Amino acid sequence: MANFFPKWTNWIPLKMVVILIVLGNAATAAVWYYFTPKYTRVGYQPVQPVPFSHRIHAGQLKMDCRYCHSFVEVSYHSNVPNTQVCMNCHSQIQKDNPKLAAIRQSWATGQPVTWMQIHKTPDYAYYNHSVHVNRGISCVSCHGRIDQMDVVYEYQPLSMSWCLDCHRHPENALRPRADVYNLAWKPEDVDAKSFVAKYGKPPGEEDRDFSSGNVKLTQQEIGLTLKHAWYVNPPENCAGCHR
Amino acid sequence: MKRVFEHPPEPQGGKKYWRSLDELAGTPDFAASLEREFPQGAAEFNGGDVSRRHFMKIMGASTALAGIGLAGCRRPEMHLVPFTRSAEWVIPGKFLFYTTSRPAARGYVPLIVSTYEGRPTKIEGNQFHPINGGHGRTDHFTQASILNLYDPDRYRCFKNASVDTDEAAFIAALDKIIVDYSANQGEGLAFLMEEDPSPTRERLRAAVMAKLPLAQWCVYEPLGGNTADAELTAFGSGIRARPLLDKADIVLSLDSDFLSPTEGTIEQTRGFTDKRRVDEPGHKMNRLYVVENRYTITGGMADHRLRIPASEVGVFAVQLAAELASQTNDATLAGVAQSLGKTKATASFPEGWIAELAKDLLANRGRALVMVGSQQPVAVHLLGAAINSALGALGNTMAGILPVSAPTAKIGALADSIKQKKVSTLFILGGNPVYDAPAELNWASLQESIPTVIRSGHLLDETSNSANWFVPRAHYLEYWGDGRSSDGTYVAVQPMILPLYGGWSDIDIFARFAGLPKPAGPELVQETFRQIAGPVPDFAAAWNRFLHDGYLAGSDSSTQRSLFFLSAATGSAIGEKASLNAVSGAGNYEVVFTPDFHTFDGRYNNNGWLQEAPDPVTRLTWDNAALISPVTARELGVQNYEAAGDTIEITLESGAKLEVPILIAPGHADRSISISLGYGRTDTGRVGTGAGYNVYPLRTTLAPYYVFTQQVKFTGGRGVQAITQQHFNMEGRAQIREGTLAQFAEDRTFAKTMGMDEELPKAGNPTIYTHPPFTGMEQWGMAVDTNTCTGCQACVIACQAENNSPIVGKEQVINGREMHWMRIDRYFASYDDTDPDPEMLVEPVLCQQCENAPCETVCPVNATVHTPDGLNSMAYNRCIGTRYCANNCPYKVRRFNFFDYTQRPIYPVKTPFGEIGGLHLGPLTTKGSPDPIKMQRNPNVTVRMRGVMEKCTFCVQRIEEARIATKVRAGASDNIKIPVDAFQTACQQACPNEAITFGDITEPEAKVSKLRASPRGFRLLEYLNTSPRILYLARLRNPNPRMPGADKLTSFQKKEKGGFAAEPSGAGDFSGGPR
Repeated sequence: MANFFPKWTNWIPLKMVVILIVLGNAATAAVWYYFTPKYTRVGYQPVQPVPFSHRIHAGQLKMDCRYCHSFVEVSYHSNVPNTQVCMNCHSQIQKDNPKLAAIRQSWATGQPVTWMQIHKTPDYAYYNHSVHVNRGISCVSCHGRIDQMDVVYEYQPLSMSWCLDCHRHPENALRPRADVYNLAWKPEDVDAKSFVAKYGKPPGEEDRDFSSGNVKLTQQEIGLTLKHAWYVNPPENCAGCHR
Repeated sequence: MKRVFEHPPEPQGGKKYWRSLDELAGTPDFAASLEREFPQGAAEFNGGDVSRRHFMKIMGASTALAGIGLAGCRRPEMHLVPFTRSAEWVIPGKFLFYTTSRPAARGYVPLIVSTYEGRPTKIEGNQFHPINGGHGRTDHFTQASILNLYDPDRYRCFKNASVDTDEAAFIAALDKIIVDYSANQGEGLAFLMEEDPSPTRERLRAAVMAKLPLAQWCVYEPLGGNTADAELTAFGSGIRARPLLDKADIVLSLDSDFLSPTEGTIEQTRGFTDKRRVDEPGHKMNRLYVVENRYTITGGMADHRLRIPASEVGVFAVQLAAELASQTNDATLAGVAQSLGKTKATASFPEGWIAELAKDLLANRGRALVMVGSQQPVAVHLLGAAINSALGALGNTMAGILPVSAPTAKIGALADSIKQKKVSTLFILGGNPVYDAPAELNWASLQESIPTVIRSGHLLDETSNSANWFVPRAHYLEYWGDGRSSDGTYVAVQPMILPLYGGWSDIDIFARFAGLPKPAGPELVQETFRQIAGPVPDFAAAWNRFLHDGYLAGSDSSTQRSLFFLSAATGSAIGEKASLNAVSGAGNYEVVFTPDFHTFDGRYNNNGWLQEAPDPVTRLTWDNAALISPVTARELGVQNYEAAGDTIEITLESGAKLEVPILIAPGHADRSISISLGYGRTDTGRVGTGAGYNVYPLRTTLAPYYVFTQQVKFTGGRGVQAITQQHFNMEGRAQIREGTLAQFAEDRTFAKTMGMDEELPKAGNPTIYTHPPFTGMEQWGMAVDTNTCTGCQACVIACQAENNSPIVGKEQVINGREMHWMRIDRYFASYDDTDPDPEMLVEPVLCQQCENAPCETVCPVNATVHTPDGLNSMAYNRCIGTRYCANNCPYKVRRFNFFDYTQRPIYPVKTPFGEIGGLHLGPLTTKGSPDPIKMQRNPNVTVRMRGVMEKCTFCVQRIEEARIATKVRAGASDNIKIPVDAFQTACQQACPNEAITFGDITEPEAKVSKLRASPRGFRLLEYLNTSPRILYLARLRNPNPRMPGADKLTSFQKKEKGGFAAEPSGAGDFSGGPR
């Protein structure tokens, strides 16, 4: 019997295997990247009912975060300001600005403004703002440079592995409490001499001299010192966040 | 190879502890049930009304439906909605706590309610109130009352002649009535109310009475009992008795279930159990004698219990009075006993019982107390008062308090005037007389004969449906009010939320009659407060203090001894009033109408938490039944089955008949049938519909507590019953441990050497399970004192409220799928299988938080793991529902969501295929719980879905809240240790008896550490070496050694007496490994 299949068909099984491997890898890689909050969540920037600019308020005017998000230090929830807070200023300033029509209408009718929620953890994850800001974690660690955003978008994935990265190594984010709401803070700004006087020397660097004026501390050094001084001990067990 | 765990054998010939008659008899069914993780069929799809084929049909349709809605893949848009104007005190995300109190006929229950963003979510006792002594105490009715606020079946409109209308129409009609009756001083106007010791309601009522002096007033409580009537005769109108159980060393209960919220108060159960904290230095344990016809939780706590028909309790009281009179020279008592001695009723009681009891009572004069069951006839109460007087109880173990409300007419008198057409307008404020009024009044037709009936109620129930006007009734969390707690202290009722459906309280209605506008705030209560508090320098400050504390300090109305005595004249009059009759003649049974644990008198019928909380004694849910003794069951030829009971037909001389399934109750009196009231409602909400049997048609004014039957016969039918007593059985022995006070004095650590524990090696058995290092700063643990636990189930409901546990319905309970994280195991104990008088013991079992947890090892996805502070935590979102953990749990405390209980209706739903249980329909039925139910949910606890395992978490949300609060306070410091006893678990906080104590076991100052040092401590299934974090403290009884039957109470036996020492297999060689 003559050869029924031409010779090139001998390669088909091998080609199929190679293609399947490539496709399989591509699919895995695609799921790995595209099905994670890093892709699906970061950058989420819904249109808000009022074109409120954090860049103007927090950046240019240097308003403290806590003027509007007033309960961030006491509650799990960092509250959105109510209409009354907006009207504290805007009954005097920009009181005819058409962009603020929705605020004025809310104030007149008593109907609240319905803001779009951007940062959201799942219902079974119980994130708590108060414990983070009181223990030296800045807003910027999760929310980014809000003071430079005209329209706020999600800056970090807020996924479980991202949370755990920090819970395992809080030194990468800890900073002195006074600078928690200072989004522009950099470790280099810290005066090493007074920092060491207040919190002690970074662990492992007990022999180093910090008294001269030009020593710069790294984030790691600051973080480890504070972690040690405050006994920062973030939970890594399930019950810490899931109840 | 299957590992078969060989549990240590039961000792032969010793005392046996058993939970059900099947277990006692060792039936093959019971043996098989031990091998199973859940009752038979729990893990199978045997929906009763849904076959497997049926299921495939439904699922096919639902898969097709699921394809349509792919929009679910999109991320939902969420909104943040702030207030417009700032609300005082409200911090989004934080609880706010307010004091208030729950109205109850026997005294308001002082409370602290947590509200979350304006909605009340959880009720706790007010620990600052004097009756609570620093610990918030509640009962199961109080815990569950929040669900009544959010009952989705509450009717939401006013209704006139079956047509929905609005408040304005009602106000117009009400004003017209007021004008009409003002013209004739209220002639023809009548009010039927619930008992409510509220000074403001009483003040306004007096104002209305002054304006309309001819109006008739009637207070009707179906289970009000005869206490008040008897006290009126004995002590006069100015005073009511307040038993002080914390002062009594010897307590005799004559059919009084004073430890249960159905008959007693929190103050009483606390006073009693405070005398049972035997570990406290210098403590003297009290002694309780109980005479009753059925096991109640009070009977379970008894040191000596006499089981007699309820109708013989009076005879017992007469004989006791005679005995006491002969041992003393008390003239009053002698007179009483003599005049009553002439009554024909006779009964004989065990030799020596009454004589020894009398001796013990007399030896403790001034420290003894007799409690009489509220439903017993007035004569028995008067005898009780005479005995108390002779024992010097008045003024010592019994204080007097001032009554709040003036006496009103009985419902019979009101019925007479209705029959004589003297009532043209009747206001029915609360209650439900069409359902629960005495049968001979035939209230339904009486009510129809009245031209205008205005009904204030929660649901469209039997009474509402035949009323001309329906007025939504405000729940106590919705209105301003006040009351007197059981000690007479003046307490506040604050609204937690505006009336959800525009409800009116009694105060609102009376205010309108008194010519005042409907109160917008507390102004009427403030007026009462002003009168009660007297002149205060700064009214606003005093009022704020009152609301802050929840009570007015020093307003307790307990009076001096001199006001409170029984005159000899009254005593001799008692004999005249007595009418005592006992069971006589063959074929005659007594039927006893008892308050129901779930529904009380029927008012909590539509409350799912209460329906599903197992009765502490019978473990019955969703139902009532005719309780009979095993002997009576044999006489009648009836028996119980795994989830059913034979049905009997009860016929009375009046011709009234009732068919009801029986439930064989160990420890029940022979020739007596107890049936609880409050079931068989015809018009109620979706929860109560179809549950139980209505006993009210048998109940008349003349026989409100017990009645004699003409005939009782087996009908041949069966009734389905959902009983949880055999669910979640632990195998093994000495799970509950008890001894007597004398034994405890001899060997204080007796509990540690019961069962196998004596044989344990010093270092404990080896274990195959491991745990991570316990590096947490706190190590959580618990101590459960079975000596103060009465089994009242307050903790079970508190846990359900705190942890968003669903109810599952009767059919699912039969399948063993109830979701309570706690169960209170009820054991009976006897030496002899046929002993008709077993003892009763209770033991709460929740997740033992084992250090060497068997459940963790078998989870394939690490959904249950240990935390560094010793919690066995459960990550719901990881659980894939293999149920291996529940299989491997020796304590059977894990619960699996077989269905979407929180999302799907648990009641039958109409479909083209017929009525099918909503759970089985899955996506084909409505999704989501009703909105009001969602408002109750604790925002800090995940609502679990189908396919997820759950269990007690030690209230991890409270632990984490405390930890976060500590860290927030610490700020820039290292002081992050949670303060000692800074918070409580829900079960601990709810317990009226402080039987549960939780805390950091590494902290020597913590309450829990002190209790865990008790010599009575033992751990469940110690020989498995799971190392539970829960320590139980053994039960003690304090028997009178001269009493007949006292020797039966000695439970623990020295090794030489017990059978197990002879067994060759010691515990030492058990390694937990394969055999």
